[in-house]
Amino acid sequence: MKILIADDSRVMRQIVVRTLRQAGFGDHDLIEAANGKEAFDIVKAESPDLVLSDWNMPEMNGIECLRALRAAGNDVKYGFVTSESTPEMKEQAEAAGALFFIVKPFSAERFDEVFAPILG
Amino acid sequence: MSVEVEVNENDLTEMVDQVWESYLDPEGLNPLMQTYDENQPSDVHSSVSITGSWTGHIVYASSTLAARRAAAAFLAVEPDEVSEEDLSDVLGELANIVGGNVKAMLPPGAFLSLPQVVLAPEATARYPNAQRISGVYGIWDGEPVSISMWHSSTADNNSTKEGAE
Repeated sequence: MKILIADDSRVMRQIVVRTLRQAGFGDHDLIEAANGKEAFDIVKAESPDLVLSDWNMPEMNGIECLRALRAAGNDVKYGFVTSESTPEMKEQAEAAGALFFIVKPFSAERFDEVFAPILG
Repeated sequence: MSVEVEVNENDLTEMVDQVWESYLDPEGLNPLMQTYDENQPSDVHSSVSITGSWTGHIVYASSTLAARRAAAAFLAVEPDEVSEEDLSDVLGELANIVGGNVKAMLPPGAFLSLPQVVLAPEATARYPNAQRISGVYGIWDGEPVSISMWHSSTADNNSTKEGAE
């Protein structure tokens, strides 16, 4: 599977990659985007199977990216890895079609719990 | 309208402990030892602003060496391999993580800014109409680190002028 990690922090993208490896998902093809706009373009160009997106990013934020993808008819599996977690954000994410909501700081165990059913 | 914040020092300490446990000290060997000294020195700092149901700032400050060690821990490299870009990135992410967790405890309608990083002491910062309301101040592996919350008074309330010279 191809997994896109979208976060404006390069360090956080590295941590997400490392945590995916620690959770046993390192064999997948991992690609990166530095903001929501870049993530939108990469999803359209490279058709990843799954997107792990930060929420608060420049250019286009994570929820805007998800909504733009759905508006364009793209139904890629999409979820959030973010430091922010409020009930209204979770509602917005779910309403837009997000599959999961992981809060920073996160653990490999949390990744395993969320991604095992999705990645198998 | 801004409301009274319900995030206290114990909440902040819990958030900071989670960051240490997850990223900076997963082995539990070098916890942040609290000094309760809000005037401890710093070389660098980062902040996020919160607006809406509560207005203020979350500020992460530390020595350069502590920031370098934090970046090294995040990246799983040696401290001397950390670039200035990495250091800034990690400082911003630390403020972002704590700020995001603070926001989660605030009433609905709070908005978090992107982080701002300043490679200069926290003492150089000025937050207009804001005063420090709580913080976690400590020593991490011999180096100062602090995380503080600053509450901004609303525009129609001029009673708080601290930090607005």
